[in-house]
Amino acid sequence: MIEVQQLTKRYGPFTAVNDVSFKVERGEILGFLGPNGAGKTTTMRVLTGYMPPTEGRAIVAGYDILEQPLEAKRRTGYLPETPPLYPEMTVRDYLNFVSKIRGVPRSERKTRVDYVMDRTRIADMARRHCGKLSKGYRQRVGLAQALLHNPEVLILDEPTAGLDPKQIIETRQLIKELRGDHTVILSTHILPEVSATCQRVVIINKGRVVAVDTPDNLTSRLRGSETLYVQVDSMGVDAKTALEAIPGVTHVALSDTSGAATGFEINSEMGRDVRRQLSSTIVTRGWGLLELRPLRMSLEDVFLHLTTEDVAAPEAAVELANE
Amino acid sequence: MSNILAIAHKELKSYFASPIAYIVIGFSAILFGWFFVNLLYYFDRMSLQAGIGQGGPETVNVNEMLISPLFLNVSVILLFTLPMVTMRTYSEEKRSGTIELLLTAPLTDFQIVMGKFLGGLVLYAVMLSVTVIHLGFLFAFGNPEWRPVVTGYLGLLLMGACFLSLGLFISSLTKNQIVAGMITFALFLMFWVINWISSFTGPTSQNVLNYLSITEHLNDFTKGIIDTKHLVYYLSFIAFSLFLTVRAVDSERWRG
Repeated sequence: MIEVQQLTKRYGPFTAVNDVSFKVERGEILGFLGPNGAGKTTTMRVLTGYMPPTEGRAIVAGYDILEQPLEAKRRTGYLPETPPLYPEMTVRDYLNFVSKIRGVPRSERKTRVDYVMDRTRIADMARRHCGKLSKGYRQRVGLAQALLHNPEVLILDEPTAGLDPKQIIETRQLIKELRGDHTVILSTHILPEVSATCQRVVIINKGRVVAVDTPDNLTSRLRGSETLYVQVDSMGVDAKTALEAIPGVTHVALSDTSGAATGFEINSEMGRDVRRQLSSTIVTRGWGLLELRPLRMSLEDVFLHLTTEDVAAPEAAVELANE
Repeated sequence: MSNILAIAHKELKSYFASPIAYIVIGFSAILFGWFFVNLLYYFDRMSLQAGIGQGGPETVNVNEMLISPLFLNVSVILLFTLPMVTMRTYSEEKRSGTIELLLTAPLTDFQIVMGKFLGGLVLYAVMLSVTVIHLGFLFAFGNPEWRPVVTGYLGLLLMGACFLSLGLFISSLTKNQIVAGMITFALFLMFWVINWISSFTGPTSQNVLNYLSITEHLNDFTKGIIDTKHLVYYLSFIAFSLFLTVRAVDSERWRG
């Protein structure tokens, strides 16, 4: 549905996006993750036809964005970083105007405007001037504007920026509901957002793609082994040795003690579940088992890992973009 | 075409939603009224003098002595008001980021530019239409020729369109409204006074300078003459400015 091939964008001597390639399948939600200034907005601006790439190609909804920009734009909805609102227009007038320039047929305009206002929960603001809206409402009017012409492709630049927690949940829910009918790219620097809404993630840093994968794979595959956390109390002095003796366990490290309770981090061989053995060992020895849970690298860890080291991506883990 | 109209409609709406339209229309109406009254007194005096045979002109003609100079005075009003109309058209969209909406919508640069131009032109036409009231009085109480009045309005419309297209181009170059307004004003002034020096120069440069002057071409229109020379000047001026605007918007994309 969206195909980006070796996209490069330079502003004078500064390279904002460097040789970025990725694909988004129809009906998929792709998270575009990166620290501020990583090139997310620039990539999105190229995809929406706002600016042409310096090198490379972008194909949106089957149309090359340089060769048939109007066809591609007709099928794309775009929420820029700052919602493009005209302060002196009322919300309804604004949406009417956008539906005109987006080519919504006259007969459907009113229904579409009502529908998107309903979907984004801004109907009560229909007669308010855009300039007088709070940040959260502006953001939602921006989202409504992007949905108006029922586009195949939706490109959302930080759709939840400036929303309160309740609105964030609502907006994420809305985006999830769009999956299937629409192909969505959303950018964010908020990590939980990606795990909450996206099926795949492109992590970008300093204009380069660092990793492309599902959020789950990214977190689990980055670790070479599986890690468990156990907390026990009233155990013997030989606890560490006893745990290490369990087959499959490769490493035991003392992680924390609080009062009588002690926590261990236990690494085991890849793909081998040692939980059953672990718990029975603890119980038969008469210790108290307080907690047993798998430790996974959080997306935060993955992200920091990928964006702070100068990345030759961990070979074990990440399939790089241009496969 | 419907895209152009949608943009024009939006432009017009935002003029009237902000104080700009009212200020522009209101103040031009006041100034026009003031010019009208002055010229009316002058014309009154002249016709009185002619009537009692005390000097005065040999023939008294309301078209030549009142309407024509009145139309020429309008260029002064335009000089000050039209920069205010055009200065925000692109600058404001760039500053607030709404340009991103227009440039990512399925619109061509040409449609956007034409829409904005048309929006400004309609506002200007509304501004001109207020002046019809004053001329209505002349027609009610005298009998001026109507043909020079019509061509005069045509001339004014074309001259205003030149100013608007040039202002649009300047506005497309900067994010800052004030900068756009000042440069536009300076250029208007330049095109207005460019032939002042012409009487001191040789015949060739005199012709060139006169030809460049935007207001010089209005003269014949107010006298009821539609000369293709002037039409070509105005229309090519407009076309060239709009062309430059389209190029400026396009180059902005490439430079990012």
